[in-house]
Amino acid sequence: MKRLLGLFFLSLLASGCATTGDVTAFKDANDTSNIQESEGRLWHEARSYDTTIERSGQIYEDPRATAYLQGVMDRLYPEFKGKIHVHLYDSTQLNAFALPNGSVYFNIGLLARIGNEAQLAAVLGHEAAHFIEKHSFRQRVSAKNASAFAVSGIPFASLAAVSSISGFSRDLEREADMKGYERLVKAGYDSHEAHKAFEQLAKEVKALGIEEPYFFSSHPKLVERIDTFKELAAKQKSGGRVGAEDYNQVIQPIRLEALRKDLGQDRYKSVILVMEDSNLRRYYPAAGYYYLGEAYIHRDEKNDSQKALQAFQTAERLAPNFAPTYKSLGMHYMKAGNNTQAREYFNKYLKLASKDADDRAYVQQYISSLK
Amino acid sequence: MKKTFVLPMLLALVGGCAQAPYWTLTDDTNRVLKSTSFEMTMPAGWTRTTTADTWEQIKIDDKPQTLLLESVTASRDGVAIQAITVTRRYADTAFPTLKKKSRADMLPIEAADLYVSELRKRYGLERLRVVSNKPTQINGHQGFELVMEFKNDDGLRIRVVSNGFVDKTGFYTINYRAPVLYYYDRDYADYTKLVRSFRQSKGAFDPPPEIPGWAKLFT
Repeated sequence: MKRLLGLFFLSLLASGCATTGDVTAFKDANDTSNIQESEGRLWHEARSYDTTIERSGQIYEDPRATAYLQGVMDRLYPEFKGKIHVHLYDSTQLNAFALPNGSVYFNIGLLARIGNEAQLAAVLGHEAAHFIEKHSFRQRVSAKNASAFAVSGIPFASLAAVSSISGFSRDLEREADMKGYERLVKAGYDSHEAHKAFEQLAKEVKALGIEEPYFFSSHPKLVERIDTFKELAAKQKSGGRVGAEDYNQVIQPIRLEALRKDLGQDRYKSVILVMEDSNLRRYYPAAGYYYLGEAYIHRDEKNDSQKALQAFQTAERLAPNFAPTYKSLGMHYMKAGNNTQAREYFNKYLKLASKDADDRAYVQQYISSLK
Repeated sequence: MKKTFVLPMLLALVGGCAQAPYWTLTDDTNRVLKSTSFEMTMPAGWTRTTTADTWEQIKIDDKPQTLLLESVTASRDGVAIQAITVTRRYADTAFPTLKKKSRADMLPIEAADLYVSELRKRYGLERLRVVSNKPTQINGHQGFELVMEFKNDDGLRIRVVSNGFVDKTGFYTINYRAPVLYYYDRDYADYTKLVRSFRQSKGAFDPPPEIPGWAKLFT
């Protein structure tokens, strides 16, 4: 009896391995129309995710940046042009994910932290590899086989979708790394840039103790992954496209928006970390100093009020047309009892701020109260 | 004999334990709602909680916490559709997920900014957008009137208007939430009447009560 049971379980395991092994990667855009029925269900599920994301307003609307990212993707995978669609995702979490139908979502938070086009290509190459190698489907098949042993209580469809967002198994992540890296080199990017993006992210994750869905936080560990990229790059000659100027030109407004959104969700630690780091700060527009000042006010530790004032003054000097700085300076001087200077700054704010600025009425009220 | 004695005792006990209904329909006889810290006139034809909730459980850093508050809810068509919520939070836990206290000298614009951050963080509503934010007066207090909006997963635009103020007794908000489609405009007048009727009570200055022991069991 025991033997029979053992044989039964062994056969289940074997069939599981065989089924997983049968899943073959897409060769090109035409190949994506030849999908099995069960894979079709996964695509259907992915399409409904696309619809939910779009309907709920989670797409970040920036046609220029979206077209730029799509261009990099098409350069990496020219044979999949028209089948992999890149979208900007309106979230400051450090994440990017690919759905099984070829939709790739890139969070603006991650975009803001990356330094150049080559680093962007490293992430895009990785995400597209998840789609081309059918990692969601393979993970789903594996889970289905494993379910014979009641390993997972999660419905298979959900599991596949969730893994797209929060990470795949260690082996699949590694495969995506390798395939993405090959494309990066083939497309003529400087492969020595790949690990730099991850080094910065690792530093940020460690400093902030981030536990949220995060690109590459799962298997293989980030440090191990950085080492792998370094080893791979060591075998390549240095040189190739970096694309720092192009990238920064397109992404600058998003960087500022990411700071604003971080602050709006009380992620002041993240803003301070970025703006206090001279390596990172150089990528950000000078108006970023305003957000640094506001982040100090939110943190509210010893000397933060003074640090905030310095940051606002730097913003005033380097970005003199950025209106919010003057409101913050006005509030600072109003609280300090310096009504003349407060009025001066508030008036400057009203002059520079747009007519429909949502805090205009407050500033007008403060000016009246200071008279 | 014993059995006949036990049965009425049991019935009496059950009857004694039964609380007043949680919801009641507001009509001309019960429109004025007096709670410990505030009172106001509720809109007629709305269903409202009979008494204020005195505690809530929320997650802070993924850990459930029980917090004191005073909160009354009213709805016309059901809370899933629209709701008016009047809440008083104590100063120490005014912005609980941000772990920030309210201060009596806090400017309305500062309280409004913190409140938006609190909502975004607590409900994971990264996409909550501020439509307008302006100063207002609530029962003689300098306060804010925030209008915010987000789309739910079905793409329905939900609008939230929040009138709030801070004083030494804590942070008060009067919120109205409804879909922009049809409901928001229809019931907005009821909300503004309620805001105008809001009065702080003497009980607001009493020391905060204890969290009931049984409520702590949830954390």
